[in-house]
Amino acid sequence: MKKFGHRDHRENRAYRHNRCLLGVLFGLWFVSVAAQAADELHLYNWNNYISASTIARFEQQCRCKVEQDYYSDNEEMLAKLAAGATGYDIIVPTGNAVESLIRQHALRPLDKSKLPHLKNINPAYLDTPFDRGNKFSVPYAYTLTLLGYNVQKMQALGLPTDTWAVIFEPRYLEKIKGRVTVLDSQRELMAAALRYLGYSANDTDEAHWKQARDLIIRAKPYWAAFNASSYIKELAVGNIWLVHGYSNDIFQANLDAQRAGRKFTIAASIPKEGAVLALDSMVLHKSGPRPDLALQFIDFMLDGKNSAELTNLIGSGNPNQEALRYVQPEIAANPAVFPDAAQMKRLEMLRDLDRMQRRVLSRMWTEIKLR
Amino acid sequence: MLKLSAFTEAEQGGAGRRGLMLWLAALAVYAFLYLPLLIVIAYSFNDSRLNAEWAGFTWRWYDVLLHDDDMLLAAANSLFIALVSSSIATLLGTMAGMAMQRYGMRVLTFMVLTPVAMPEILLGVSLLLFFIQVLNLTLGMLSIILAHITFSIGFVAVIVRARLAGMDDSIFEAARDLGATPWQTFRHITFPLILPGVIAGWLMAFTLSIDDFVITFFTAGVGVSTLPLRIYSMIKIAVTPEVNAVSTILMLLTLVMILLATRFAPDALKGKA
Amino acid sequence: MASQPEERLRRSPIERATKWLVSGPPFVFLMFFFVAPSIIMVVASFRYPGEFGGLAPIHAADPNTLQGFTLETYRFFFSDILYSQILFKSFLVALFTTLICLALAYPLALLIARSPKKSRDLMVLLVVLPFASSFLIRVYAWMILLGPQAALSQAINGLLGAFGIAPVSLLFSPFAVLIAMVYVHLPFMVLPLYTNLEKHDPNLLDAAQDLGANTWHRFWKVTFPLSLPGILSGSALVFIPVLGMFAIPDILGGTRDMLIGNLIKEQFLATRDWPFGSTLSIMLTLVVLLVVWIAAKLGSTKGRYA
Repeated sequence: MKKFGHRDHRENRAYRHNRCLLGVLFGLWFVSVAAQAADELHLYNWNNYISASTIARFEQQCRCKVEQDYYSDNEEMLAKLAAGATGYDIIVPTGNAVESLIRQHALRPLDKSKLPHLKNINPAYLDTPFDRGNKFSVPYAYTLTLLGYNVQKMQALGLPTDTWAVIFEPRYLEKIKGRVTVLDSQRELMAAALRYLGYSANDTDEAHWKQARDLIIRAKPYWAAFNASSYIKELAVGNIWLVHGYSNDIFQANLDAQRAGRKFTIAASIPKEGAVLALDSMVLHKSGPRPDLALQFIDFMLDGKNSAELTNLIGSGNPNQEALRYVQPEIAANPAVFPDAAQMKRLEMLRDLDRMQRRVLSRMWTEIKLR
Repeated sequence: MLKLSAFTEAEQGGAGRRGLMLWLAALAVYAFLYLPLLIVIAYSFNDSRLNAEWAGFTWRWYDVLLHDDDMLLAAANSLFIALVSSSIATLLGTMAGMAMQRYGMRVLTFMVLTPVAMPEILLGVSLLLFFIQVLNLTLGMLSIILAHITFSIGFVAVIVRARLAGMDDSIFEAARDLGATPWQTFRHITFPLILPGVIAGWLMAFTLSIDDFVITFFTAGVGVSTLPLRIYSMIKIAVTPEVNAVSTILMLLTLVMILLATRFAPDALKGKA
Repeated sequence: MASQPEERLRRSPIERATKWLVSGPPFVFLMFFFVAPSIIMVVASFRYPGEFGGLAPIHAADPNTLQGFTLETYRFFFSDILYSQILFKSFLVALFTTLICLALAYPLALLIARSPKKSRDLMVLLVVLPFASSFLIRVYAWMILLGPQAALSQAINGLLGAFGIAPVSLLFSPFAVLIAMVYVHLPFMVLPLYTNLEKHDPNLLDAAQDLGANTWHRFWKVTFPLSLPGILSGSALVFIPVLGMFAIPDILGGTRDMLIGNLIKEQFLATRDWPFGSTLSIMLTLVVLLVVWIAAKLGSTKGRYA
């Protein structure tokens, strides 16, 4: 029979020791959290949307640290902010999300006197419908949602690459069944369908939405997947031949394919019916603790050289005229990255929807996913 | 006329055609269980960015992992959350288990067991609603810890209760007859006896917390990331064998935890159901 | 078994105080973090969505803003058979997963139960170990196994190609979702089955054999009915989690694989329509309660056999 007293004593010591350890860990964590309140800029940005060297140079210049968090779509970011995420100095939302944030009174107005480099921005990208007079936002970069394709395969099959028909029409899809992916985004896919049908991407007529929905459901059996990000790999590897995707992702896929020594190239094209332009802007969130650092960062990014780094890295569009001098010539000449004036007319920016419209769209999206 | 075993040789899984089929079926299921995991581990050493052909052995991905600051931070968060939540859950769960066994208490039993029985998404979503609407709590470390405690209490309680149920009540009667106060009874008799169950419960709660995805997904907010959340975003965005590497390490960690748990309470896993 | 002195002690103030002291803290904690959130969710399903997401206020100063309570979300749920279809589809997926798990788990559990005592614990442990890793890892494993460049896909498509059939994608398909669901939940079916089978009295089979029953009859008439409680627990442990699953269709699913879990997640995180998300959650809870009720009914009637 065990002597309870003896065992009890040993057990108690072990228990107390563990509690001590816990206390120490707690203390360390607490201290580290407190230490973080120092010179830090909190940046909430898209995945893969800023070059590490840019950040490093800014940190040197401001003698501060940049803390980054990431999101992979606007909805996720808006939902997290709505769920009470605070402490972000700078966020980089797309136009319709900027609109939503402005209406929620979640942003700090910009002190333009601290932004001397603002003049570098191409006026075509200023004074947008979602932020007249640029009171709250400054353009950062833009991407187009367009068609990305395996040049050799599409040529071999004799398929057109300048129209949305190639992802919506069964007569074309038959030849590439299982080799097409589309974006897993309610707004983006509906926008492409609406443009193909001849309507504006911001059309809110439910009858038009129903037409777009039926178009999508008809084409769906030929698509391999609704895929936001991993399709880059599939394009670069050669499993997928046609995508509905973002211009910078397609640019990346081509780079990957070339580096891997593949025998095909990947190109992007703006369909003639029109496409979505997503202009991402830098905004100051009102809960950010360091608006001064934030304004410094914005001005830093408005400098041509810094702005060009991102373009050179991922092939994103650049609204900064000064930056063009530093962009690699092949990228500058790429119409999918820098559309000319004629193509600009075909591009549209998405506007925000109200709650009831969001609910209806959600139901359509559910139908699309289910049928 | 007692046979040594009422099962025929075939039923025993020994010789005979039916026995062999049973053996093969069982082995096939074991293979099915382990093969995918072994492949994950194997490809973590693959010298290629794609999880496809074998291109040679390398430690490269583990090296990338060790230098991946975001991943290391997520790991630190996971460990911290697991430590805190499993400790508190063990405390509360032990109390609940004792109360359930000693006093019946149907309402408490319902409240303790339902979070375990229902689909995780319901708990995650209702906690999200509660934290935001009622507590106005910014989602982060605290919300995750509270959420983890909520679903872990049930596991600990079940293990402790099972341990108590297997004990002979006469010890407690004897103690009371000798004039011991409830606290003395607990400290000198109950606690040492249930301690293996408590430790097993702690280990289970720790494992569940480290590996939890669904509930953490809804209650994490922005700034805090845990290992499963990182793995999820890596799977969705850019899969590299680094995911295999971190998976392998995570598997090793939980393997150790489970082995320890079964050492302390071998019936814990069976009694759970 | 309580003796008279025990009865007196049980009602003594110290005993009562101990009872509340011990049950109090977990009770309060769960009240706060389980019961209250559940109530909030039920209430939320009767509110309007907030303008930018979340919930609209119950009382607002401005009479123009949406406020108060409504049955609108429930009307929306029933306005289109779509949502009931998704619930039903999730139910079917859960059912198939459970049946397949049962088919796979039974031989294994049977074998373990009939094995010599020494190896039994090890075999059970071997079943539990894969469960030990985060389920995301187990899902990811199938992403690799079913990928277009993995052996399985190459083999199948090679075979199809020989017949001139276009290649199929194993990944992003209902097949991938189902196999991952089964894989992730299999240990949950094995354990309760094994626990039950282990307790079977060999003498019953002995008697059956003496009465002339062959192996198959012995299994079907004796073992199987006795194992029904184990089957029911195992099924419940598989069925209910699968009902609410979203991660597996999210990662491995194709263009048609949306389950109720995905829809709920989407309402809360993308559409930001929290009232509707809550309504969907309530509907899911009702389905879960229905399943539990059915299982309880089945459990009690079959008790006759034991």
